Amino acid sequence: MVEANKEMKEGISAWAKFYRKGTGYLAFAFHRLSGLVILFYLYLHYTVLSNLLRGQATYNAIVKSITYGPYDSFLALDFLLALVIFYHGANGVRLALNEFGIGMYHHKALFFTFEIIAMILLGLFDYYALQFVGVGF
Amino acid sequence: MVENEKMKYGSLNRFVQAVTGLFLIFFLGVHLYVAHIDFRHPVAFFSSVINQLHNPWWLAFFLIFVYIITYHGINGLNHIVADTSISERAKRDIGIALMVIYVITIIYGTILALLVARMTVPA
Ligand code: HEM
Repeated sequence: MVEANKEMKEGISAWAKFYRKGTGYLAFAFHRLSGLVILFYLYLHYTVLSNLLRGQATYNAIVKSITYGPYDSFLALDFLLALVIFYHGANGVRLALNEFGIGMYHHKALFFTFEIIAMILLGLFDYYALQFVGVGF
Repeated sequence: MVENEKMKYGSLNRFVQAVTGLFLIFFLGVHLYVAHIDFRHPVAFFSSVINQLHNPWWLAFFLIFVYIITYHGINGLNHIVADTSISERAKRDIGIALMVIYVITIIYGTILALLVARMTVPA
């Protein structure tokens, strides 16, 4: 309670203080951060998709110019985005199950189980998605 | 009593966040597979997107996807705002603003998807 009060007073900056807060807090903080990152990307995605209305030539030119970016940095960001999405999804399933009263007493085990499954799926996704990098350009 | 109502609303809200999250596993899974693996491109090109949206089932899929994912994201942001130490009034105002942003986004998304679905791919 005292800790919580202290955090309220410290405001948002307290969320970024990981010291001695444990796995649960890390999971929570990264869930929050990843949610915000994906939301930001969602609006970026809508913006890029709006260019479909400008026709084939313009849309394809835009997609080409933003797929790789300087030194393939945009491609690297895409991989980071996939990591963030898979992390959030896996932890989100655990939190959703908690919401239905499932797994309340096995937070840590479920966190690691879901994250390991998600990271294996992420590896497969990255592997197959990479097969087509450069195709058609 | 007021506190109780708030708690109930808060937990319903969290419940909806959880349910929409689970739906997103399905929608995002299908979307990532189709757009990044099945299209055989790192990103979907014009013709692949238009062809997909010509199918009414895919159009419906995307509309529902947009409604749910935007709701989950904006509602999540609202949870984060509720967790800060700003005044209750500011929280309420931001909540209303986020709701307006949600409605504008889904109306825009619907119009965009319907317009794109009517476009033709030049031969
Ligand atoms: C992949 C499937 C997803 C699942 C299973 C999922 C699940 C969840 C759950 C259960 C919560 C509530 C956490 C809590 O009550 O503490 C949550 C929060 C959130 N989600 Fe998701 N989510 C998913 C995808 C997304 C996407 C695509 C976005 C962005 C558009 C997003 C943005 C957020 C945000 C901003 C929060 C609020 C974080 C917080 O309250 O700390 N999520 N998610």
